[in-house]
Amino acid sequence: MVSQELRDNYRQNKLSASDRAKLIKPYLPDPSDLPRRSRPAKTNSASQSRRKPRKTPIRTFVKSQVHRLVYALTHIIFGIVVRLLQAYHAVVDRVFAIVYHHHRTPELIRKDVRGLKRLPNHLSVILNLRAEDDALAGLMDEVAELAAWSACAGIPQLSVYEKTGVLKSCIPALHQIITTKLASYYGSPSQQPTLQLFAPHHPVHGGTPSNPDHPSLTLLLLSSTDGRETMVDLTKTLAEMSQNGKLSYEDITPELVDAELSEIITQPLQADSDTGRVTASIKPEPDLLLIFGSFLKLDGYPPWQIRLTEMYCTGDRSHGMNGDGEAVEYQGFMRGLWHYAGAQMRFGR
Amino acid sequence: MASSMHLSRLRKWFLASPPIEFAISTLKELLIGALRQGPIPRHIAFVMDGNRRFARSHGIETVEGHNLGFEALARILEVCYKSGVQVVTIYAFSIENFKRSKFEVDALMDMAKVKLSQMAQHGDLLDRYGAKVRVLGRLDLLKPDVLAAVNKAVDLTSRNGDRVLNICFPYTSRDEITSAIRDTVEDYSTPLQPALSTNAAARTPFSESHIVHNIRAQTLGSKLQDTHSDTESTSAESAASGEDAILRNDLPNRVYENDSSFSSSTTLHIGQQDGYPHKNASQTTTPNGESPVYMSPETISPQTLSDHMLTRGNPPLDILVRTSGVERLSDFMLWQCHDNTEVVFLNVMWPEFDLWSFMPVLLGWQRRISKSRQNPDAEGDFAGDSTESSEEDADSVVVRQGKVKAI
Repeated sequence: MVSQELRDNYRQNKLSASDRAKLIKPYLPDPSDLPRRSRPAKTNSASQSRRKPRKTPIRTFVKSQVHRLVYALTHIIFGIVVRLLQAYHAVVDRVFAIVYHHHRTPELIRKDVRGLKRLPNHLSVILNLRAEDDALAGLMDEVAELAAWSACAGIPQLSVYEKTGVLKSCIPALHQIITTKLASYYGSPSQQPTLQLFAPHHPVHGGTPSNPDHPSLTLLLLSSTDGRETMVDLTKTLAEMSQNGKLSYEDITPELVDAELSEIITQPLQADSDTGRVTASIKPEPDLLLIFGSFLKLDGYPPWQIRLTEMYCTGDRSHGMNGDGEAVEYQGFMRGLWHYAGAQMRFGR
Repeated sequence: MASSMHLSRLRKWFLASPPIEFAISTLKELLIGALRQGPIPRHIAFVMDGNRRFARSHGIETVEGHNLGFEALARILEVCYKSGVQVVTIYAFSIENFKRSKFEVDALMDMAKVKLSQMAQHGDLLDRYGAKVRVLGRLDLLKPDVLAAVNKAVDLTSRNGDRVLNICFPYTSRDEITSAIRDTVEDYSTPLQPALSTNAAARTPFSESHIVHNIRAQTLGSKLQDTHSDTESTSAESAASGEDAILRNDLPNRVYENDSSFSSSTTLHIGQQDGYPHKNASQTTTPNGESPVYMSPETISPQTLSDHMLTRGNPPLDILVRTSGVERLSDFMLWQCHDNTEVVFLNVMWPEFDLWSFMPVLLGWQRRISKSRQNPDAEGDFAGDSTESSEEDADSVVVRQGKVKAI
């Protein structure tokens, strides 16, 4: 390490070049550790004469064995710690699951979020399609649950990202399932929030809100094609326009890209253009991104829109050992919302 | 309070005593050597966040906090390069940061200049270390003296080994992506010499006239705005969306058709729309009068755009670490954080960040990767090996071509 007076000198910007060299020396590797690179000839001969007696095969062998041993030991210890933490979190999670249970009652969910300082206006969720047989049904049920919780908590916009895009192919069925789920939470249809469901390049499914005061939920389905591929599509169009002389490339600004990408993602294809009703629209940039998984991986999520999005990963708390996707559970959803508001969840409501 | 001061001084003295210092450095060496035994990420990015907050909470000057942050950077670079990471990308300064007070921007710029020129002074040490310094971002926004320091540091280290230190200097990811798109478009709109006539009509969901319209709306919006900000687009956007409704009715592309347009006026400069394209059309036609031949835009792929990003040629990003507990990307590496990047938000301030807080991240990553290698069906397949082999393939192809030429 470095002596105190050197450090003090450094603080006051009084260091000379040689002092600074002294300062960084401990951070630099030994010249002998470095892989041999082609160097100017004169230094080469000098260093070779020095390097030759240093060849210590036994010592390097022992060293590498020690390193291997330490590697194995650290990973065993780390594995134990991770497992213990997982077990602890799983227990905490079960307790939360009992304490915070929604009982399919909108009032209870509303009560859970009442103390929070802020709620996301647009919540986005990354879900995984599992490898089971009835994976699609399970996924659609998860989407329906999330939609119901969001509607109850008062989040008006929800987007669900699923990499393969399988949800986009069954929008009417999904709409039916969500409506049924909402009915089981809210009861009669008059009390249900109006639901609008769509995906980019797909027509909007579901009624428009009759009056603006009535609670509504807009649900957007995203897949990996809405990410990089959409940007590639935009580039293709722009390149073609530029080739035809309709655009000069100086005109491509972040604002233009932003406007184009936001619109393509957030506006549904119009089913009937001659009725003068208000279209569904959604804020392009989500406020909160919830990842139900063991670690935070974006997995091809549309990159442009998540510039300022807060991200929250529910963490590796799976009770099974399959480790393949995390169950979407109410307490994970709630933890994300509490975290977003900067609050800590506690035992007991 | 006083006792804690004494304690910390005692601890400092204890840690600085030669035997302890030796033990700690040996332990560090041992751990790094051990880490090398497993899979090692090839590209790590850091958002160095929390210098100011650290300074505030410890009652020291902001500049002091930034200096401590620089020390932390040196520490962490040591760990990374010793354990075998090829590329380290750091977020040093955002384009948005130009909006901070002039005093602070100047101070940061001065610091960057000083650090870069110091680096240049120790060219031999850096050379021994073997890390190339690259500065990514909008260099045109820098003052000439800072730019000179940047160029000097980059030049001096350009002959160094295979390790790379990417410093994102005035950088935002949106700006990077836009530049990549612009450069791609520029590449594709330079006429090709040989006849390669492909006039495939692309059916993309974007409509050309709509884009023209957006551009017009923006120039209009920025005129009104007077000061044209580079990354914040709110006012220009709102102007655009207000005007968007106007042209929608007569657009052929149904994607953009919108019913809410009847209320708005339809009288705004339709005439300008005709005049606009011709101005550019005259630029691109060749003097011969023939219609030029271009590369087909259909060949643009995500890889094409990746190759136009500022991080071109670097391995894919494996880990992104952001300190200080802020859980946002804040316009950093949006394009690169794509498939298998593990994003980690740590609750330490950057000046406190060291091997001990970095170890769990690395160990967790190694654990995951070795698990996914054991059963490749599970998620998170590691793509590192395949790209390496393809690079080797490319090399061998080059060698073979060389041989053919030699023959």
